[in-house]
Amino acid sequence: MFSGYDFDVIRRSLPYLFREGMTFTVTLTLMAMTGGIIFGTLLAMMRLSRFKVLGLVAGGYVNLMRSIPLVLVIFWFFFLVPYIGAWIIGADQPVAVGAFLSCVITFTMFEAAYYSEIMRAGIQSIPRGQVAAGQALGLNYWQSMGYIVLPQAFRNMLPVLLTQTIILFQDTSLVYVISVTDFLGAAAKIANRDYRLVEMYTFVAVVYFIICFSLSYLVKILQRRIAIVR
Amino acid sequence: MIEFKKVSKWYGSFQVLKDCSTYVDKGQVVVVCGPSGSGKSTLIKCVNGLEPFQEGDVIVNSESVGRAGANLNRLRAKIGMVFQHFELFPHMSVIQNLNLAQTKVLGRSREEATEKSTALLKRVGLQAHAQKFPGQLSGGQQQRVAIARGLAMDPIAMLFDEPTSALDPEMINEVLDVMVELAHEGMTMMVVSHEMGFARKVAHRVIFMDQGEIVEDASKDEFFGSPRSERAQVFLSKILHH
Repeated sequence: MFSGYDFDVIRRSLPYLFREGMTFTVTLTLMAMTGGIIFGTLLAMMRLSRFKVLGLVAGGYVNLMRSIPLVLVIFWFFFLVPYIGAWIIGADQPVAVGAFLSCVITFTMFEAAYYSEIMRAGIQSIPRGQVAAGQALGLNYWQSMGYIVLPQAFRNMLPVLLTQTIILFQDTSLVYVISVTDFLGAAAKIANRDYRLVEMYTFVAVVYFIICFSLSYLVKILQRRIAIVR
Repeated sequence: MIEFKKVSKWYGSFQVLKDCSTYVDKGQVVVVCGPSGSGKSTLIKCVNGLEPFQEGDVIVNSESVGRAGANLNRLRAKIGMVFQHFELFPHMSVIQNLNLAQTKVLGRSREEATEKSTALLKRVGLQAHAQKFPGQLSGGQQQRVAIARGLAMDPIAMLFDEPTSALDPEMINEVLDVMVELAHEGMTMMVVSHEMGFARKVAHRVIFMDQGEIVEDASKDEFFGSPRSERAQVFLSKILHH
């Protein structure tokens, strides 16, 4: 049944797939997650701020990002960021940003919109009395947020944040549109070079499945542990 | 020390505080009582600016709370507050709860803060629980931690917003005992409470509120002996006869 297929191509390309491709995918995921959560938390704080303008700006940004397909945002940033960079530093030539940095910026900006909705729910889940208690002790806004509200919001929302990160991990495969060698991109290159499309794409699917399924399982365990602590 | 000058507050068109004027002198214990929804909690929260008000002013230690640009954080650091639902920070241990504002607001070193906190925990009988988290303590223990947290700031006055009304009956006394001790030491206290036994024991004055108004503001003996207003009489007969 499998005559005509050469599954050994997978074994031969493993070092390349993981050392080049998976490293890129994981690095991008981790960087975009970190940046996205930080930026997303700021957006959430803006949306909940008593200054209406901040709320409108953040709300507009989140809704914009959530209404545009990710592929489009990737393209858009890839071609636009060099010009924005030039505009910021005042150069007359587009700044060479590089595909990797462009990807990190894109995914951070895009995912921040989703993380911010999660963090907004998290912040709102903290009882008003907790903030009042912090204020009554003389803590200012940033101290109340930093020591009381955000740590609790973050802990309550950890399972959801991680689930979003699993989605981010899968979404990073879309960088193939700007010819970046992520895990999928690396496999695609081998597949085309050796004409082993079925073998390579099947393998990629299996790897994504195993990673994402185990991570989801871990999130479930974590969810149960948090529920006990609370 | 604390003076209310014709304080009025509205939620939209609904007036929750009507021209409230009263005072708490240094070393005095003033108990505020009244039916639910009468504005007691709102009144006490005006003292440290947790509830903004539209008219009148509150003067604390000759500083205005209502003035635009009042330094509320500095004022709040000097006034301890204990809440109905304790509001300990659940993600921090007991000792961290006590240390947080001491280090972040007063700028005490960690060692200094820990020393102070440990002494206060000992005082409320909870030194053995310093490393536990609030969720591992009973309601009464949590409220005692909350009192210690307020005292850790060396406050000039303490505010209590229904400190025992969320507690199981058997835990009320352990909290009241701490409060009585505080009162005997001369702490300035404003207490919103229905615990008339506590009021009889330590209050200098009792304020009775109804529908946002201060209906009665009298010395303890006057209030319990012969309340002037009918509303206070009705309220007292309701809560004392069972």
